[in-house]
Amino acid sequence: MSTEARPFQRWVAVSCVCALAALALMTWQIFDPTVWPVIVAMSLGQLLGTASFAAFGYVVFADYRARRHDRA
Amino acid sequence: MTFPTSPLSVVELACAALSATILVGYLVLRPPLLRATKIALLFGLGVFPIGAAFAGNVQGFEATKEREFCGSCHVMALHRADSDDAASGSLASRHARNAMFGSENCYVCHANYGMFGTILTKAGGMRHVWLYLTEYRNTPLEEAKKTIHLREPAQMNGNCMQCHSTEDGLWLQVPDHKASLDDTRAGRMGCASEGCHGFAHPFFRAPAAGGKP
Repeated sequence: MSTEARPFQRWVAVSCVCALAALALMTWQIFDPTVWPVIVAMSLGQLLGTASFAAFGYVVFADYRARRHDRA
Repeated sequence: MTFPTSPLSVVELACAALSATILVGYLVLRPPLLRATKIALLFGLGVFPIGAAFAGNVQGFEATKEREFCGSCHVMALHRADSDDAASGSLASRHARNAMFGSENCYVCHANYGMFGTILTKAGGMRHVWLYLTEYRNTPLEEAKKTIHLREPAQMNGNCMQCHSTEDGLWLQVPDHKASLDDTRAGRMGCASEGCHGFAHPFFRAPAAGGKP
């Protein structure tokens, strides 16, 4: 079973979109350094970015496990 | 809208741009998850965003010291305008014109000092945000002027004394300083009060009891 066909690969696309949103929120504060942009960047932006990286980590781990299973 | 000029802003933007390029590239091309793709995504989802977040956090914490930040809530509009006014003779404005305070004059005068000063100040700032969200968001400026006040006014002298030590010979030669030395150091008599150096924000008198700090 190829990696491309595994259902968890959708998580990569989702995490890419989340990371793009997180980057947008984090860079917003540079152009508008007022209360809400800074707070949103340091909370929601960080949360989305961390979640997207965690999702990617999960995909890599799941892919590794599946490959090992295929080989066995 | 501020055009980013600080090195941290440039680093954050560069990391964000590199990351976005990789991520958009992946979303458009959708290559198979081979080792090269994973490594590219490690940079796109991990290394560059972490770099952007790190630079952004430091930049964000620096931004919270700026008068522009403090004055972005409408209830602080008068404070900000007064400090921005080069012709104003208020204590706040005069300190703002001093390069040691400059655009960070709100923070320098109101921040806690000591080992945990920055943390305590940021925690206090979150309290301000909470109060703004829950109580002051729709409060007219005129009403806010009557109700907002310092939570611990006795601590303000301590902040003044970070620069004005009360130990200097010239300072002690002033009869009023000499007479009120113990009260000033103990915070019982405010440096920024009527009869002494005047209110730091003269349009903002001490409110009646019951106001929200």
